[in-house]
Amino acid sequence: METNTSGQWVIVAQSHQLDRSRPLIPVTLDEKPFVLFRDEEGKLGLIGRHCPHRGADLCYGRLEDNGLRCPFHGWHFDRYGQCVEQPAEPEGSRMYTQIKVPMVPVKEENGAISAWMALEGDAR
Amino acid sequence: MISQELNDMITRIGPGTQAGAVLRHYWQPAALNDEMEDGLPVAVNLMGERLALIREGELLVLATRHCPDDAPSAQYPPSHEIEIDTSGPSYPAHEIKGIAFAYMGPGAPPPFPQFDCFRAPDSHVFAFKGLWHCNWLQALEIGIDPAHASFLHRFLQDEDQEDSYGKQFRDKAAHTNMPITQLLRDYPRPDIEVEETGYGLKITALRHMENDLTHVRVTNQIFPEAICIPMSREMTITQWHVPVDDETCYWYTIFTSFQKPVNKDLMREQRLKEHRLPDYAPLKNRENNYHYDPAEQAKLTYTGMGMDINVHDQWAVEGMGAIQDRTQEHLGRSDVAIIHYRRMLRRAIADLSDGRSDALPMQGDIAGLRGPLSNDAIADSKDWKAASHAVDLERRAACPWDASV
Repeated sequence: METNTSGQWVIVAQSHQLDRSRPLIPVTLDEKPFVLFRDEEGKLGLIGRHCPHRGADLCYGRLEDNGLRCPFHGWHFDRYGQCVEQPAEPEGSRMYTQIKVPMVPVKEENGAISAWMALEGDAR
Repeated sequence: MISQELNDMITRIGPGTQAGAVLRHYWQPAALNDEMEDGLPVAVNLMGERLALIREGELLVLATRHCPDDAPSAQYPPSHEIEIDTSGPSYPAHEIKGIAFAYMGPGAPPPFPQFDCFRAPDSHVFAFKGLWHCNWLQALEIGIDPAHASFLHRFLQDEDQEDSYGKQFRDKAAHTNMPITQLLRDYPRPDIEVEETGYGLKITALRHMENDLTHVRVTNQIFPEAICIPMSREMTITQWHVPVDDETCYWYTIFTSFQKPVNKDLMREQRLKEHRLPDYAPLKNRENNYHYDPAEQAKLTYTGMGMDINVHDQWAVEGMGAIQDRTQEHLGRSDVAIIHYRRMLRRAIADLSDGRSDALPMQGDIAGLRGPLSNDAIADSKDWKAASHAVDLERRAACPWDASV
């Protein structure tokens, strides 16, 4: 994703909100739904809330295998929003390489989690 | 992905819409007989219209009722508060197998097809319904998606089948000791074959197992908005996804038993425990996060929303939003039946706009339509087709009512 240098960092959550056994919360940015989670490496992902397959709500996703898995068909996303597995698709299918959920860059400083809000379009 | 314009065309069903015109050419479930037990009129919210079942002499009629514009989608005033609007349209209705169906289209209503759910005696069928807050099409599409059962309905442990009466996916797979839950979990990539039929689609999901065995699960799309699927070796589910309006729908199910009469009291009690009256809204819903429990999701179920698969489906389809934004979707091979169905619906829309209503499925001669075959079988991979057919015939032959096909 291109970063728009005319954008800005905006605080979207506090770190302690993710201090629980399942570190995941819904976040709304610019009236659009996102999900914020911490993967098994402790890294944050802020990605679109609807699965790009048929729109299921990833807030109820399974936090496993160092990413977020949609409970509808098992599509698995890493913290960059890249689909890394589609377990119902035929063996050898490469479709997943073309599937990405919108992702917003995040940083965590002094207990606050900020998202990079571009001014135009690139953080959908 | 499809355009917003196309998504609107195939989802919106109010008076004057194109998909609404297709649905209006078929009998629509309007109310359960259970709802009419205390007498008529009974409020009905169907296809974006505010209606009420009344009796005119011997005839059951679905008339228009007065309703404030801001009333909720599923508004059910008590009988004595229902006011009929005689200036609005009224439609013929017909009670069959526990459901009052209505015909809201032009011309004479089509006959009821001789499907198992309509042929079985009243003792062998049971009807129920439930409210979902989403458009009817996404509710239907989950029912013609055989892959999702391996994930959405995955149980991380297998339940004792002794307590399985009246529940989906709790039987053992045909002729084996493997619980269906284990089979779905172990084989999550079914090959899916779709065949267009006189009633809609025959959908065959093949799960290739060890030792050259194949699990064959046959389900059906019955045009325009129903499915017929196996529930257990004993029962099938015929389920309509009926629009209340564009953003709300009911599932209406006729459970049909081949061998034994249905234990209706138990079936009703199981389902009333999960729904409130009079709108049949599920007690687990978006407002209470479907009773989502992350600890359960980690250990027991794929969703963390309990063992009732209806709740899983409800979460999946409601979570998409009131009308799924299909401009953002990415369909895969597992969605082959959905893709085929949308093609049929668009063809029906085109046929109607060309004035060819008799070209729609089941609008002509339906005398030959039976079944449809709807079952699970495990067979040698070489002859799964014949084996699936044979298992179905065996069940039909042993059945006390005429289930011949």
